[in-house]
Amino acid sequence: MLRALVQVLLLAVVGGLVGVHVLLRRLAFVTEALQHTVFPGIVAAFLLGQSLLLGALAAAVSTVVLLVVTTRARRLDQDGVLALLAAAAFALGVVLVSRGRSFQHDLTVLLFGRILTVDDRQLVETAALALVCVVTLVALHKELVLLAFDETAAAALGYRPAVLAVVLNVLVALVVVAAIRSVGSVLVVAFVVTPAAAARSVTRSVGGAMVGAVAFSAVCGWIGLAASYELSVDHGLDLASGATVVAVMTLGFLAAVCVGAAARLVGRWRTASLLAS
Amino acid sequence: MAEPALRLQGLSAAYGRQPVLEGVTGSVDPGGSLALIGPNGAGKSTLIRSILGLVPVVTGTVEVLGTTPERARRDVAYVPQADTLDPAFPVDAFGVVLMGRYRRVGWLRRPGRQDRAVARAALERVGLGSRGGDRFGTLSGGQRQRVLLARAIAQEARLLLLDEPFNGVDSTTTEVVLDVLAQLRSKGVALVMATHDLSIAHLACGDACLLNRHQVAFGPIGQALTADTLKQTYGGTALVLAGGSTIITAS
Repeated sequence: MLRALVQVLLLAVVGGLVGVHVLLRRLAFVTEALQHTVFPGIVAAFLLGQSLLLGALAAAVSTVVLLVVTTRARRLDQDGVLALLAAAAFALGVVLVSRGRSFQHDLTVLLFGRILTVDDRQLVETAALALVCVVTLVALHKELVLLAFDETAAAALGYRPAVLAVVLNVLVALVVVAAIRSVGSVLVVAFVVTPAAAARSVTRSVGGAMVGAVAFSAVCGWIGLAASYELSVDHGLDLASGATVVAVMTLGFLAAVCVGAAARLVGRWRTASLLAS
Repeated sequence: MAEPALRLQGLSAAYGRQPVLEGVTGSVDPGGSLALIGPNGAGKSTLIRSILGLVPVVTGTVEVLGTTPERARRDVAYVPQADTLDPAFPVDAFGVVLMGRYRRVGWLRRPGRQDRAVARAALERVGLGSRGGDRFGTLSGGQRQRVLLARAIAQEARLLLLDEPFNGVDSTTTEVVLDVLAQLRSKGVALVMATHDLSIAHLACGDACLLNRHQVAFGPIGQALTADTLKQTYGGTALVLAGGSTIITAS
């Protein structure tokens, strides 16, 4: 349980930080596609008895390269390429899994993850990936924010938008790889997009959104994990931990949206009463 | 005579194989100002982007501050139209102005006290000193345009490129922007400004370049803007009235 909590907290930090950039650059669909394209890499590594991390990493980097190459050709738009890649990769993954002996069981684990069985080695790997992501994001913070706000001005200042975009895509891929064994190939996107979306609805700055996203993700992760563990152990209700965490995050997101809307209403009401007086 | 801030020699630019602008020749001196005039799709923005080195030049040359556009970037500031930027972006006005300092700050470092002081002064210069904490998207269109001008001031550039800076802005903004541009020119900063507003072009610029996918005229604004060149630039949408004045019915 303690290992699972540490894993969730590590994912909260890195998912929250990268998630804010994902929303600013409108890369949510890229994240969604990456979580599917990573799937066959994990399955292949699983069947070959290799490191799942390396399998996922190879598939993620191949996706980013394919994405950059195909969209530079300009004949296909990015959304089309992403949809095509995601469907093709997912089909490939399922075909590969069906070659295994315990098809149903393996597929469930790969699709929905197993956060409670995370071992020390996985924790070290997640920490290493998180460190790479956090250091890169801190180092390139102002450049990535400028790029998201005004790409032409960034290019005019001499930055290379294409290079920065690839760096950000690789970071998203690393987060997906770090999270996929814990929460599975279907729910990873929630760890990236949901906390950032919740934080965006109640904060006014990029830094505020980052702090908010990390805190939101950590609290929801902890509640979701504790709830699924307690219900499983004490009440015999077998809840999938990763999915429970995502469900709690979704509820938290709805609450944040309501809080944000209420704050805006109060703000408007105050302005109106100030103007009236 | 100092070397020109901008020198264009037979410039043609293209996106892919399709040429969008041909045969532009002329120069702008330090402290000089050039209005780019033409209908939508005439190549005004393309010309600005080729001066920034963001559009491939097919033939001819672009020389910016005596060097290539790529090498001159640190000394060239670009002011986009405010409404091309996302109003929901979580950044305040001061944060936007500070972006003008990023190249001077360099990689891996945060803007320092000096950068903040320059950004604050720039925001005050455009009359928004008290609005630095306001989110960019909550400001009016004119105020957002002034924030973007302040970002260019903070960059301390020697050549300013402005894309339709007076489009849909209020009269206060027009006054402030004209005043700031005149002051920058007096300090030797050169301006290139795309505009469809001929009276503003007269007020803000000494020279004009009339474009309609090719150069129609380039020279002192009084000589370049004639009934004949306007008709060539705007085609059937230019009407010559009885008194000899020309009006553009659509652009």
